[in-house]
Amino acid sequence: MPELADRIADYARHRMGDGLEVRVDGVERIHGGASRETFRFRLHTKSDAGSLERRLILRRDPPGSLIETDRAIEFSAYRAFYGTAVPVPEPLWLEEESHWLDHPFFVMEEIPDLEARPQMVLAPPYDAHTEKMGIQKWTILGEISKADPEERGLIGAMESVGVDAAWDRELSHWEGVIDEDELAPQPIIRAAIRWLRAHPPPPAQKISVVHGDFRTGNFLYDTEGRIHAILDWEMAHLGDPLEDLAWGINRVWCWARDDRVGGLLPKARAVRLWEESSGLRADPDALHWWELFSCVKGQGIWVSSAREFQDGKNQDPILALAAWMQINAQDRAALELMGQLR
Amino acid sequence: MKPEISRVLEVCAVGLMGDVAPHVAPSYRQATVFSTAVILTSVREELDRIAERRILENRALRTIFAEALPAVADAALRERLECAAAEDESDFKISALDAANDALRALLIDLHVHVESLDSEAARRVESEIWRELSASTERRKLSLGAF
Repeated sequence: MPELADRIADYARHRMGDGLEVRVDGVERIHGGASRETFRFRLHTKSDAGSLERRLILRRDPPGSLIETDRAIEFSAYRAFYGTAVPVPEPLWLEEESHWLDHPFFVMEEIPDLEARPQMVLAPPYDAHTEKMGIQKWTILGEISKADPEERGLIGAMESVGVDAAWDRELSHWEGVIDEDELAPQPIIRAAIRWLRAHPPPPAQKISVVHGDFRTGNFLYDTEGRIHAILDWEMAHLGDPLEDLAWGINRVWCWARDDRVGGLLPKARAVRLWEESSGLRADPDALHWWELFSCVKGQGIWVSSAREFQDGKNQDPILALAAWMQINAQDRAALELMGQLR
Repeated sequence: MKPEISRVLEVCAVGLMGDVAPHVAPSYRQATVFSTAVILTSVREELDRIAERRILENRALRTIFAEALPAVADAALRERLECAAAEDESDFKISALDAANDALRALLIDLHVHVESLDSEAARRVESEIWRELSASTERRKLSLGAF
């Protein structure tokens, strides 16, 4: 992709200032979340002080995507947690103008030679470390939930919400997504929405940073089961910390087809680890509400991916695959939580 | 005699996964080929049951509507249910079966909302039948490669 490499180099020159020799090579598109086009590349710089090579990631807005999100929010989440107990790559540049690379984008550090695919946690050599990965995963989520959004500089960057309004804002948002994007009626999820509205959860214990898609598949891990980075903050927002916990233990992420949530640990242990790390409590009734909500949110994502593909806005097969694999599984997860799976 | 559609899809999917994907670069394109192969595998699984599932489901929904009539208090809804219950499949193209299924499931939502608002034994029985059918519908749609 020589043309893209030259354009990235032009941009890097613009950001880093004159007097620096800049070259970009090794541009390669990779899978990295379905809402943005992701490329890896090498940035070579040369000055009187010497030469430097960095491996970087470019996340660019596509014409259509699985989730319509604000890149500035994703970038601010990386910036908020970089250098903390929540491992993330170093964010470098956010660009809102389209003229550099046709669409807005941001650039961050690449943490190379690691695995992210969720199904790989069940394959050698990673499968020997599922417990270790699970302990880290839920402890890190606890750190995210524990973090003070104000201290992390996220007030203003993310829309604020009150402790008693978080549930309604999220439910209304995802109900609206389903209203707009469903290709066919969704009787199970509509029943779930009615139940959720009729039985609102207690106010949030606190307003936390919510990653928004905290699940196996959205972190980088090595062959020894060490987690090196939490990725894909594209749905990050402020809200009830139970939202993230519930999303991560959703049935549709039980890759091993057993009781291990995210293919790593039994649900009760995951919840306990999160409670210990966050200092918060997962009230069973409140968590149940958020678990059922996570089915509504999941269905919102899957019907949107189906719509994008069907309408031709984005015909990456991953969108069709997500819809084919998850819509019915999500319905079954909702039925199970409502005590109606027979 | 042509090869069966399911056999063609199986061979194509296996070929894409085993013969094509490993030789495709960069990794993004390779993953795309792999995703395409998984979709073909699922389409093959769906193909054999594609008409049966829709016909069974549409029939089950019409039966629920017919049996729900005595419990329904809303006259306009009762009329819509009666009409839907009296229909039968005459067009077996998948697009026609899907259109009928969409209309029936939309009506099912209306019926579900209505009986939830009623305080009667008959309404609870209808509600129970709706849940039974919704659960059965997910069993009919299950894919062997799905997580749940």
